[in-house]
Amino acid sequence: MRARQPDLTGVVDRDGVPIFYEVHGDGEPALLLIPPSPITHSRIYKALLPHLARHHRVVTFDGRGNGRSGRPVDVEDHTRAANVADILAVLDATGTADAVLVTHCHAAWWAVETIASQPDRVRALVAIEPGVPYLGWALESTGEVLAAAEEAQDLDPPGRERFEQQCRDLGVPTLVIHGDLDVCQHVDRGAAFAELTGGDLVVIEGSGHLALVRDPVAVNRAIIRFVDRITGAAMRRHTWTRGMHRERKVLYLSSPIGLGHVRRDLAVAEQLRTRHPDIRVEWLAQHPVTTVLEAAGETIHPASDWLASESGHIASEAAGHDLHCFQALRRMDEILVTNFMVFQEVVEDGLYDLVIGDEAWDVDHFWHENPELKRGSHVWFTDFVGYLPMPDGGEREAYLTADYNAEKIEHIERFPRIRDRAIFVGNAPDVVPEVFGPDLPKITDWTQDHFDFSGYITGFTPPPPDEAAQWRAELGYADDEKICIVTVGGSGVGEDLLHKAIAAYPIAKRAVPELRMVVVAGPRIDPQRLPRYPGLEVHGYVERLYRHLCVCDLAVVQGGLTTTMELTAARRPFLYFPLGHHFEQTYHVRHRLDQYGAGVHMDYVATDPDGLAAAITAEIGRAVDYRPVETDGAERAAAMIAELI
Amino acid sequence: MRARLPDVEGHVDRDGVEIGYEVHGNGAPTLLLLPAWTIVHSRLWKGQVPYLARRHRVVVFDGPGNGRSDRPQDPDPYGHEAVAAAAIDVMDAIGTDAVVLVSLSKGANWSLKLAVDHPEHVLGQVFIAPSVPLAPPSGARARSVDTFYDELEDPQGWEKNNAHYWLRHYEDFAEFFFSQCFPEPHSTKQREDTVGWALETKPEVLLADAMAGMPDRDTVLGWCARVDSPVLVIHGSEDRISPLSRAEALTEATGGELVVLQGSGHIPLARDPVKVNLALRDFVDRVAS
Repeated sequence: MRARQPDLTGVVDRDGVPIFYEVHGDGEPALLLIPPSPITHSRIYKALLPHLARHHRVVTFDGRGNGRSGRPVDVEDHTRAANVADILAVLDATGTADAVLVTHCHAAWWAVETIASQPDRVRALVAIEPGVPYLGWALESTGEVLAAAEEAQDLDPPGRERFEQQCRDLGVPTLVIHGDLDVCQHVDRGAAFAELTGGDLVVIEGSGHLALVRDPVAVNRAIIRFVDRITGAAMRRHTWTRGMHRERKVLYLSSPIGLGHVRRDLAVAEQLRTRHPDIRVEWLAQHPVTTVLEAAGETIHPASDWLASESGHIASEAAGHDLHCFQALRRMDEILVTNFMVFQEVVEDGLYDLVIGDEAWDVDHFWHENPELKRGSHVWFTDFVGYLPMPDGGEREAYLTADYNAEKIEHIERFPRIRDRAIFVGNAPDVVPEVFGPDLPKITDWTQDHFDFSGYITGFTPPPPDEAAQWRAELGYADDEKICIVTVGGSGVGEDLLHKAIAAYPIAKRAVPELRMVVVAGPRIDPQRLPRYPGLEVHGYVERLYRHLCVCDLAVVQGGLTTTMELTAARRPFLYFPLGHHFEQTYHVRHRLDQYGAGVHMDYVATDPDGLAAAITAEIGRAVDYRPVETDGAERAAAMIAELI
Repeated sequence: MRARLPDVEGHVDRDGVEIGYEVHGNGAPTLLLLPAWTIVHSRLWKGQVPYLARRHRVVVFDGPGNGRSDRPQDPDPYGHEAVAAAAIDVMDAIGTDAVVLVSLSKGANWSLKLAVDHPEHVLGQVFIAPSVPLAPPSGARARSVDTFYDELEDPQGWEKNNAHYWLRHYEDFAEFFFSQCFPEPHSTKQREDTVGWALETKPEVLLADAMAGMPDRDTVLGWCARVDSPVLVIHGSEDRISPLSRAEALTEATGGELVVLQGSGHIPLARDPVKVNLALRDFVDRVAS
């Protein structure tokens, strides 16, 4: 899913070539992001656009030859003049009187010619790695298009002197951003361009030709700083608070992927407050986490509204009982950079003593990539360590997971100061006995060396037997009934499992006449779409579902950690079906449940309704001998964090 | 030992009064750090000069009555026109065209006067804790103005802001005054420094200064309306000398920017030098570009 959808899209016809454009956000001055050469299209700006659009009106378009624009193959259709005319046509079509032009590579030339011919339409120029085209998104164009574009350069050679004079006469503020390892356009070219135009030069050392993709945080910040400066848009009033005059403040980030995080994070925050009654905790969070926080009376930072939806992205990545969560996380890249930019503004403004990130992937990743941006102490929480490949991903997925693991290991080796405390929500044996990849350490050893272990944090205390009996009565479950709860939690993922359980119901009911199956569709699945049988209950949202889970005779669930560990803590029998291609549920959660001797692992694909009915029959009402789940996890975690504030 | 010694030291003669100045460093643009009240002198800027001089030519001078300047005991040299003229003399002496003006407290008035009389010489202005008559002075201090020339019995607190008390108990007044300037906890060194500078002059000099008078509200508002270069105002929320409302009014009247220092008193350049230095750097960079 994209981090931001356009507010407006359109097509402008340029002599028979459709040019597709998008408009995002508002705020002066407007920025026009110009893609370079048909080898890429407007998505090359995906890591910049959402951030820039939070401050400015941003217009972008697909250049001729790629994206959603036409693909002319005549050489005459790819001259610089044609591209300049596209730029002006998009400004006209979007009613943009003038704009800051943001270019990459070759587009800098078009911008220079645009300014030379229509100086009133351009406020300033940001030229990222100015020069000639490079690879990326190549497969959406064609060789014919590229060949025509290359040849077109020869039709109208720039003429060195004329071009240099144009640069000297540019007359608008210019910023050049250039990676010093650029092998497509040498950094000296960027420096020379800055020199000629009298512009500023930002060199990103260690970055190549696509700093805007590979180092988006630095590029975003450089652009916003530049535009603020040329427009004099610095804040008219700013407050700084003396260090010793500040209250103790914590910014808490709770991952919205699964509701288990917020439950445990609230428990940790509560424990932290008992140790430091004077702290102020603010939450940077998004739906559905915010719903839980609001109900708990917590303070939600208003910038939370600017966050791009991570849970929406995850839902969009799921199909049936399948979620390739490693790839889903990779494809969340533009959402992560967008949300990091929001976060960074919040911490630069908010003077927090401590940032707690419960699987706040964006913060942990980009603070390691941009270590000078760290503000406050940082606590990293996670309940699994190590990306693991799924077998059918083959060599490529094994390579990718190892590469991601290696990057994280290198991050931590190089900048141990970024994580002041890393807390594994669990115990050492819960860590999977695997390796991070070829020539990489064992996950168990490395995690021992780099984490503290809090034990599991349920966020609730299971009821003692007499109270459980009372709950059961209150919920209307009779002693002679055998209650089977089927739930896929609060996500929209996993409706297929509900269908499979419902199909198993009549079969199981024949074997277990006391069976009462309660299907909870959750807030995102329409219960009307589910089939009905006499005696089968289907509910939409159920308040305090954990109470039902605590007193049921069997639960049928997905392989998510939170729900399965709740059932483990409540000592209920349960069948769990890890989502397909979900490495965390498949390996990490299963391994942990095995440590507790809890639950029956089920293979979704291999289990038909008969098989499920047989498993229900075998497990329902069975007395369990799980290893008890620790109840002091939140307290232990808070003790580790409290030292930092 | 000083963190940095001046590259050039000199004096200008302003109507028979010797005015001492120092020049540090040599980058553009030049920053002119103006004198404040005569109770202190240019060492006031000791937390700024070495840092700023690494990038800029920084000029400081002592106003009449303290530091290396003469200590006349008639009011004329202390008026805003005379001090502004002395600043121009210093600029002429060192050969500088245009400067960024930085002032503390009542120095704001001289800065404004310079900016409207010589706009061609002023690139921008930074006002720290400006003491301008756009709003009344802070609470208890305001009342002391009315009894300044009265004979008071056993004056306490701001009542010590009194001509007779100055003459009899100058050091005690200075200690009281700077205790009010530095409400931040643990400001002992800053108080000792400022009291020390106060003792380099004498109450008779301060009384001459007091008689010079200050521009009134309408005059200052008229100046503000004519300011056309960038303005930055820096002001502490706990300023017991000149309230934040003055900074807000000055910001509004000049179309400038305001940085509020939460928890800071009247002389943040001494008590929060890092923050003030960084704010100065950012402003000068912006003005220079």
